Amino acid sequence: MIREIEAFIYREARLLDERRFEEWIELFAPEGYYWVPGAPDQEDPYQSVSIFFDDLPLLKTRIQRIRHPKIHSQEPPTRTCHLVSNIELAKGENIDDQIAVFSAQIMTEFRLDKQRSYSGRVRHLLRLTAEGNFEILWKRVDLINCDGLFETLTIPF
Amino acid sequence: MDSYDQVSLSSLIGPDRVHKDYYIDPEIFKLEIDRIFSKSWLLVGHESQVPNPGDYVTLTLLDQPMLMSRHRDGSIHVMFNRCSHRGARVCTKPSGKALRFECPYHGWAFHTNGNHAGVPYPERYADGFIKGGDFDLARPPKQELYRGFVFVAFDSEVCDLDSFLGPMRDHIDNMVDRSPLGELEAPAGMFRYRFAANWKIQLENLNDLYHPMFTHASTTAEDGTQFRRQGAEGDEAGKVKLLEKHSSLNMQWEEQVIAGHAHGHTYMQRFPMDRENQGPVYERYKRSMVDAYGGDAEAKMMVHHHNSIFFPHWSIQYMTQHIRIMNPISVDCTENIIIPLKLKGAPEEMWKSALRSNNNSHSPSGMVMADDMDAWVRCQEGMQANGHDWIVFARSVGEESIDNEGSFEGLGTSEANARHQHKAWLHYMCGTVQGV
Ligand code: FES
Ligand SMILES: [Fe+2]
Repeated sequence: MIREIEAFIYREARLLDERRFEEWIELFAPEGYYWVPGAPDQEDPYQSVSIFFDDLPLLKTRIQRIRHPKIHSQEPPTRTCHLVSNIELAKGENIDDQIAVFSAQIMTEFRLDKQRSYSGRVRHLLRLTAEGNFEILWKRVDLINCDGLFETLTIPF
Repeated sequence: MDSYDQVSLSSLIGPDRVHKDYYIDPEIFKLEIDRIFSKSWLLVGHESQVPNPGDYVTLTLLDQPMLMSRHRDGSIHVMFNRCSHRGARVCTKPSGKALRFECPYHGWAFHTNGNHAGVPYPERYADGFIKGGDFDLARPPKQELYRGFVFVAFDSEVCDLDSFLGPMRDHIDNMVDRSPLGELEAPAGMFRYRFAANWKIQLENLNDLYHPMFTHASTTAEDGTQFRRQGAEGDEAGKVKLLEKHSSLNMQWEEQVIAGHAHGHTYMQRFPMDRENQGPVYERYKRSMVDAYGGDAEAKMMVHHHNSIFFPHWSIQYMTQHIRIMNPISVDCTENIIIPLKLKGAPEEMWKSALRSNNNSHSPSGMVMADDMDAWVRCQEGMQANGHDWIVFARSVGEESIDNEGSFEGLGTSEANARHQHKAWLHYMCGTVQGV
């Protein structure tokens, strides 16, 4: 199983780097969400500000915006490289068809001669569908600089 | 000697334009810190950031390391975060709780109101040296609290807070009065940014109705409506129509009032589609407001403005519900903090919606913030170019009404808001602002 999960997570990262955002959001379950807390050790998204806290409709809006011909903040577009490692299945947290996965990630991004890197711990809660595919119930990225000074961000971690 | 005198300062500001040095000359920036920021009331934050005795936050105000704490008697204290011994920063965590502050370098201690609490092994100091010395944590010469907003001034000569705010006091009241308890809270922390543009570019942007349909075009769907910024799941509240079909301008914008008062403060009228005033959550909110204020409830619930800028460095945005503090770092660098505000006693759903709205539009990934910040940085970069020396603010020049008290009122996509700030800037820089 771990091999399939690794393959799923690597592919997810590649879809983002290849700017295949529509395919990326298709990985999410209809009730799925993507969360990047704005403070360390948050227990729920209403405790503190979030850098991203997107349900599927908002993710779609975000992707529409990235594809908008007049998105001047993406001229030229940000290039990214997501490096995912340290994948583990979270023991004991798995119920029925749900699998919790830990990983670590470095996303390096480049735009307008500036290179920045963002590191963080990632947690996925995946569900095994009846067809035998995985879908993302939630993905949470805890950046080590979550409450630090930022410029703007466009591409998800 | 300063290289700028009144004449050369005045020559930077035309009736419909400003010279690019206004934004790019480091000498101007230094003068601004002395003559504008040090002569103004500055917002430190909200008292609910330190709700309980012993709570503290550290922050930077201009280039100064500061500390805000709540003492055991409930009072709020703003201090310079600098040990009175050899100058170490006393607290380094963004926020924390302390019985008293202890400097880690040699153990000097301070009460949570900043008073010196003693030094270890005092016998090696001359008799009376410690007791007789002024070793409290230093405080800015002025501090005031208004309805939960904490202000300081770095110059004791500044006018009183009331005259500084003038009619803008109502803008604070309007935010606070919308709470059934008459109190705001800042329970969700803050977003922090640093970007490569002069502080005044952002200030000119916040009441600029000329830019949204261009700068924020990418936030709109095909019908020209922006993504939902405010309101509960599924309702249409807070959907702003930026563009008509086929990306023509929505002429509704031209009817919006933009206005301002003495000291450079400006504001604009709320967007007509700010929020949906119906539905079960709204009804519950309305009931709690009527319980609290009776016949005044309706007036207190009314949102009057979209955002209000308190020159030179902070603003309230009513639609998204936040305060923004803009800290000038250097001539081409500004730091922002954005603190979402909760209406205490209002239905929890309203707070959740406001917080999500802040995440969606003004977080580092926020779809509105990214557009604006990109534009500000473009301006700073572009202004380095030779060829044109002037930055043009001529739109609807002379159409605004101006009164003797220093207030103005204009309409829609006029650039009168920026012209008003330019005038205030010149007054400050030449030392001629009313009441200062
Ligand atoms: S510097 Fe603080 S105790 Fe010495
Ligand atoms: Fe904007």
